[in-house]
Amino acid sequence: MKIGQKGDIIVTHALGSCLGLMLYDPAAKVGGMLHAMLPLSKINMEKAQANPFMFVDTGVPELFKAIYSKGGQKARLVVKAAGCGAPLGNNEMFKIGERNYTVLKKLLWKNNVLLSSEDVAGTKSRTVHFNISTGQVIVSSNGVETEL
Amino acid sequence: MKKKSRVDILSKVDSFPSMPGAAVKMLSLLDNPETTVSQIEDILRYEPGLTANILKLTNSAYFGLPSKVGSVRHAVVLLGWRRLVQLVMASCVSAIMNKSVPGYDLPPGGLWRHSIAVSVASEGLIKELGLPSDDEVFTAALLHDLGKLILGNSIKDDIRTIEVAASEGVPFEVAEYMVLGTDHAEVGAKILESWSFPPKIVNAVRWHHEPDSAEESDIMLDIVHVANVLCLMIGVGVGREGLRYEPSRLSTKRLGLKTSHLEKVASRTIQWVNELTDVFGAQ
Repeated sequence: MKIGQKGDIIVTHALGSCLGLMLYDPAAKVGGMLHAMLPLSKINMEKAQANPFMFVDTGVPELFKAIYSKGGQKARLVVKAAGCGAPLGNNEMFKIGERNYTVLKKLLWKNNVLLSSEDVAGTKSRTVHFNISTGQVIVSSNGVETEL
Repeated sequence: MKKKSRVDILSKVDSFPSMPGAAVKMLSLLDNPETTVSQIEDILRYEPGLTANILKLTNSAYFGLPSKVGSVRHAVVLLGWRRLVQLVMASCVSAIMNKSVPGYDLPPGGLWRHSIAVSVASEGLIKELGLPSDDEVFTAALLHDLGKLILGNSIKDDIRTIEVAASEGVPFEVAEYMVLGTDHAEVGAKILESWSFPPKIVNAVRWHHEPDSAEESDIMLDIVHVANVLCLMIGVGVGREGLRYEPSRLSTKRLGLKTSHLEKVASRTIQWVNELTDVFGAQ
């Protein structure tokens, strides 16, 4: 997880089935990005203690808390998601990305937060550039850039 | 199928760097049950750089040995000589595999990090599944993408055609085969054959994307196949092709694999990779 303030650009590379979650408060000019690998921390509690950002269920609350501590306010937050991809073949076992997305949606729904945009699922590997001055989120994959 | 491409690409296998002498000698010991510690010491006596590397690897947190190892003999006693042979292989190929791979958009070190990741994830899966340990899986996993070093330059020119083929839901290695007449798994297996590697390792590399096409099923092949997909999913060494590979249902069935196995191994893989790549990075 990384938190940035005006002037910062936060980048995360190679989101395969991992979740990239971007929060931005345009008034406070504060933003943060989480790169979470797995849906639920119960799979490795020891790891979750040391690195809660590895899991969606523990990382997402941490990201919100960190943004609030920097002056961000819930009502103003713009929330975007990227990643959560899957290999070919629709094999249930390998749907870690889909489960990451489901856990995220559940958490957001419980807390009355809506995603303003997303670029999720599919077989693409995504890199995200998050400009904290403007709130602009650029997702790139194979040299193709799209604004989220 | 482009026959000319296939011939051109496979002809590059002959000019690919040969395996360093020490590794070849060590490899010949693999099939000999009578191997002694002295034989290993004899080979490494004239390779101080390699010996230093092996000792650094042996002492890395990944192996979790209780005491510091200062000699080859001590390393063999604690790790076993078969494991030591795997570490010699890793040290010998690290320089070749640390390069960037342009066609697949892998930066310098990208392929190497992915290879180490698949090795540690393979060993993690074996442990998690309670399968008998197999030292050779480390080497098979480490070398599974060796063919990308040759194919990387060839696919640069044809990448658009390959991507169009792969965009129809066709796995990337199949698209490679359709356009070039070969794929990185076959090229990798050819290199290992030319290095006189054991057939089991060659087989795991050859079919790491298509275990169902191998003549016989093999647990080591299944493990490398699954570990490779898992490492791409968690973003270690995922290149231009993204996640356009298909996990085999037969492999996962044979292994008795569950989601929890995959997730447990995924949660530890990055730490294992960092522990080992730190040692190589410090060379």
